[in-house]
Amino acid sequence: MITNAALCPSPPLLYPGMTGRQAVAPELRAACAEAAGRLVRGEPEEIVVVGPAGTTRTWAPASRLDPSQFAAAMASTGTPGLPLSLGLGAMLLDEAGYRGHRRLQAIGQDEPAGTCIRLGAQLGASQARIALLVMGDGSARRTLKAPGYLDPRAEALDSAVESAIRTGDLDALQQLDPILARELMVTGRPAWQVLSGAIRSSRPKTEILYCDAPFGVGYLVAQVQPA
Amino acid sequence: MSPRQAPQRVLRLGSHAFEPDRLLVMAIVNRTPDSFYRPGVTWDPAAALERVHQVVAEGADIVDIGGVPARPGDDVDAAEEIRRTIPFITAVRDAYPDVVISVDTWRHEVGRQACAAGADLLNDTWGGWDPRLAEVAAQAGAGIVCSHAGRLPPRTRPFRVAYRDVVDDVLNVTLSLASRALEAGVEHDRILIDPAHDFGKNTWHSLQVTRRLAELAATGWPVLVSVSNKDFVGETLDTPVEDRLAGTLAATTICAWLGARVFRAHHVRENRHVLTMVSAVRGDIPPARAVRGLA
Repeated sequence: MITNAALCPSPPLLYPGMTGRQAVAPELRAACAEAAGRLVRGEPEEIVVVGPAGTTRTWAPASRLDPSQFAAAMASTGTPGLPLSLGLGAMLLDEAGYRGHRRLQAIGQDEPAGTCIRLGAQLGASQARIALLVMGDGSARRTLKAPGYLDPRAEALDSAVESAIRTGDLDALQQLDPILARELMVTGRPAWQVLSGAIRSSRPKTEILYCDAPFGVGYLVAQVQPA
Repeated sequence: MSPRQAPQRVLRLGSHAFEPDRLLVMAIVNRTPDSFYRPGVTWDPAAALERVHQVVAEGADIVDIGGVPARPGDDVDAAEEIRRTIPFITAVRDAYPDVVISVDTWRHEVGRQACAAGADLLNDTWGGWDPRLAEVAAQAGAGIVCSHAGRLPPRTRPFRVAYRDVVDDVLNVTLSLASRALEAGVEHDRILIDPAHDFGKNTWHSLQVTRRLAELAATGWPVLVSVSNKDFVGETLDTPVEDRLAGTLAATTICAWLGARVFRAHHVRENRHVLTMVSAVRGDIPPARAVRGLA
């Protein structure tokens, strides 16, 4: 059963030192640390990191991000090929001092909603007390200076996701259109649909810890606690 | 001792043959209303031609004319790009029969008309997106720049792009484009490679490419670099676009020292000075006027 869940984005800039001398977006970092910390403090039997990636598969729990693929000046450490989302999720758990069981579950960026929801349902059916760390980002097309430039549809989609989380209406996440999400460079869609499949109880209690797009990419940090 | 490892060849552009120790400034002339640096300043044709007069006077060897900004924005189709660039290329050729004219385009339709209007070089910044561009260069006897854009489509920005080794990827892509250009029939000594700073790269990647530029030069292909006022300079210094000249010149200096030969620039005079200093320090040219302690 799912006892708790956290949503965090996965920009490379969260990695320590990645932004150079200045650690940009301190509020975002603090919110992610808080969200991960709440998961850890809940003392689950296992934390499952769910993150979008090229293909659906699990990665060894000891896997870590290799930062050198983004910044060659950084030491080449970690696990070659580990998806960014899982690497940053693992990092957030490390930073929160988590030493318990963990699972790193990649969900394919192109998986249809049904596949994501079924994977979530399998996680939710576990006898163990599981916490989910759901890594995913909103649209990278929120502003003129965004990586994907401005798409006028982007804000509405990000708002719909934020609203679904804020009101605990996780079913709404199941309606996210994979094609539109791809067009808007939304990486979080499959991971959010896993979350939606995992928590099937009546409306969970939720809290938004951060919701903004300081670099034109929608970042959402939240806690979702099943009723 | 120079860090160059492989023999560099003569670079032929138009009727010119540039020896390997000759460092060339390629002046940027944008026929766009919305490029990132001083948007719209040469949108007016008269202003653009005035800019050409100025950069030639300041020592530009090549004039690079572009009709589409690199950044995303309003769609510019081939017809509009042609309208923006081709009459202007004709005017520049009329005014300067000898200056090397480059056209910054990824489209073969534009490249073909540009060559007919007098262009000598196709600056394919988007990394071979249109494979027919090399054929056009071959047919016209023009040169081509083979760039690494991280396999991104034209006018897109990098989004979390990752490389096991960015320099290896730059080498793989640019060398394979150079081979493709050769196969298409472009003359061997009219092909350049360009790591394309900022294109499909974050700031760390562009710094790494700069640091290891000697590996590109070691291929023997002439290396073009385009660092002028770019975001990797701005992010390194935390300065806005209008305050990146010193950083640009520092990157230019390092690239020149490590073996780059062509430098695409907004500030022609300043880049010319930097390259003259590099050539003099290297011993390739004498100082202009040395009397100190000699009188």
